[in-house]
Amino acid sequence: MPRVLVIEDEIELREMIKTSLIRRKYTVLEAANGKDALSHFKPSMTDLVVTDLIMPEEDGLKVIMKLKELKPSLKIIAISGGGKAGPGGYLNLAKALGAHAVLSKPFSINDLISKIEELLSPEQEN
Amino acid sequence: MKPKEKQPSGRDAKKVTSHEKEISDNIINHSRSMISVINKDYIYEKVNLAFCNAHNITIDQIVGKSLADIWGTQTFYDFIKNNIDRCFSGETIKYEASFETPGYGVRYFEVTFRPLNIEGNGITYLLAETFDIHDTKQREIEIREKEQELKKLATNLPIGIVRCLPDGSIIHANRAFLDIMDCYDENSIKKANFRSFYPQDFLFDIQCEQLLEKHIVNFGRVSLHDCIGKEISCRISGFLAFDSTSTNSFLDFVVEDATRELMLENRLIQAQKLETIGALAGGIAHDFNNILTTISGYSELIMEDLPQNSEISEKVSKIQGAVLRAKSITNQILTFSRQVEQDKIAVSVGEVLSETMGFIKSSIPSNIVVQSKFFQNDVKVLADPTQLFRVFINLMTNAIQAMEEHGGTLSVTMEVIEGKLVKNQLNKDIVADEYVFITFKDTGKGMEPSVLSRIFEPFFTTREIGKGTGLGLSVTYGIISEMEGEILVSSKREEGSEFFVYLPVARQYIVNEIFTGPKKKILFIAGNKHESRMLSMALENTGFDLLYVSDRQGFVKAFSSGENNPDLIIYMTESGQVKPEDFMNIYLQNKADAPCIIITNQNCSIFEEKLLNSGIVKQHLVKPVSLKEIKSAIQLSV
Repeated sequence: MPRVLVIEDEIELREMIKTSLIRRKYTVLEAANGKDALSHFKPSMTDLVVTDLIMPEEDGLKVIMKLKELKPSLKIIAISGGGKAGPGGYLNLAKALGAHAVLSKPFSINDLISKIEELLSPEQEN
Repeated sequence: MKPKEKQPSGRDAKKVTSHEKEISDNIINHSRSMISVINKDYIYEKVNLAFCNAHNITIDQIVGKSLADIWGTQTFYDFIKNNIDRCFSGETIKYEASFETPGYGVRYFEVTFRPLNIEGNGITYLLAETFDIHDTKQREIEIREKEQELKKLATNLPIGIVRCLPDGSIIHANRAFLDIMDCYDENSIKKANFRSFYPQDFLFDIQCEQLLEKHIVNFGRVSLHDCIGKEISCRISGFLAFDSTSTNSFLDFVVEDATRELMLENRLIQAQKLETIGALAGGIAHDFNNILTTISGYSELIMEDLPQNSEISEKVSKIQGAVLRAKSITNQILTFSRQVEQDKIAVSVGEVLSETMGFIKSSIPSNIVVQSKFFQNDVKVLADPTQLFRVFINLMTNAIQAMEEHGGTLSVTMEVIEGKLVKNQLNKDIVADEYVFITFKDTGKGMEPSVLSRIFEPFFTTREIGKGTGLGLSVTYGIISEMEGEILVSSKREEGSEFFVYLPVARQYIVNEIFTGPKKKILFIAGNKHESRMLSMALENTGFDLLYVSDRQGFVKAFSSGENNPDLIIYMTESGQVKPEDFMNIYLQNKADAPCIIITNQNCSIFEEKLLNSGIVKQHLVKPVSLKEIKSAIQLSV
């Protein structure tokens, strides 16, 4: 089954995403912040990353850049509930840095799951 | 030479020795004045050396010549003859005149003609003494010019200057002071007392005491009353001055109009305050969004475990409804704190304004009149049209609410003004050469200054608890700031309020992000064509065909021509003619399979909730929705 890494500092939210994904038979790896995620990241063990953007330690935008370096084919979904507005807004920046999809909080968990399914579907994998 | 002449009356005449004559000749010749003796025929009888030097000729060349020969006929008749005649009749004449002198050009002289009565034979000669006062005169003229210049400076400076006596009675006030004080009668100010400009007498007395003690005092900003009784903020400095004898003292005041300074300062404080609140509220909203995601996520998981339409699932859907309402509030806070990304396209302000006015007019009481004057119509700004619609709706709704009780007029104007003007008026950096300037003026109940200064703060409301969240104007402020525009307000109790909106004119047009793939058909169901027009404006060029229906029949008809079935349905539930239960029935009857996006108000009706639980709805949005939200809902749905 595909392996999804969830990087989110808010523990309840992370738990909720994890529960939903396990229910859909995904293997879930989790990290409480960007620094943890990067230090334990195994490219061969991860197919997709869901990452928050505003986090302590290492912020999400840097995490996206570093993950892209470590595994260019990695699928990334960025989630955020704040950040700056405008063209320099966090979600827009995440997109520009290579996130395949972005969702602003609060989002529907089903929307997140359909995004994940879409990104991991065979036609997306080339 | 003729010592007798030195004795005016000639009564004590005595023989003059040649020694004495030499002395007197020396005195006369070394005088710096031109001295001459003139007879009744206007002929020079005698002249001194100074005279010769001034005319650069010898004594012989002058003596025996007439004054007309020496000074010219014109000068003689115009300036000299009459004075000489008067002198011969016994008068001593003294006057100032300027004459052309050889080698020195025109110079100023002081001329004295003194009658000479020699040996009691009557006035036969006169003594002319002409003193060169050119340098003194020149200095005098310079001083006078400087004085004039200083006077002009004091008059033309935008700084008021007032001199008064220690009791406050005004001795002198310059033009600028009259202007600042809105006084058009120069004479009345001279009778006035400076004390009368102070809201309380004792304030002037305190300043007076300080001045008498310290001589120079900067009083800072003082609130005065001008001639028509209006309060005006002035920056005042005082100086203690004395007259030349040091016996009488004066109080000199320098008065500057500080209205603009005060206005700019208040605006800065206001903006800083709103920024601080924004940062704080934005942070809270961010945390709330995390929590809301968890709540909505778990409720979705619970929903999956429950059979549809069960009692518990209805309760869980209430949780989801509450999450959406909370989301709408956090979203508004984030909009205020400029933390929501806006999808901006070039929008015609006139079009959005007209749509909003159409929308408003359909629901206002008959005692309120809405009038508008657009000086330019086809000007575009970069904005999310739905957000701009919100800005205008909020401002107009506020105006109408202020007039609800007694009725009145809402006047809307729009014009394009130069960026330079905005820079001067607002003292802010400009981002465009031109700005759209929109005003909303009502004749409602107006606001107290204490309300006015807090009007853009989130959750600040004058309405009763439960009526309105107090976010409307905060959101308006946030949207306008995000557009790099500016909003100002002025208000007077019982007279009304006026909002001024400045929006930078779009320099380059950003083309709407185009959805890829074949053109999709969207069926848009809304009771109000204004709202649908706003949406179509937003979705222009995005690769969608928008079909708008407002009633039941239209909705049914949309399914009748089989192959033209919509790819997506957007349903604004507050559409009057298409009720949620109708929507569900028609949808199911036609075996439609298009995904639905439902846009509801914050509080859902029972039927709306039923519809939401029916499984038809793919996305549920709560008003107010932004272009970005609609776009991402569409993307997630198709």
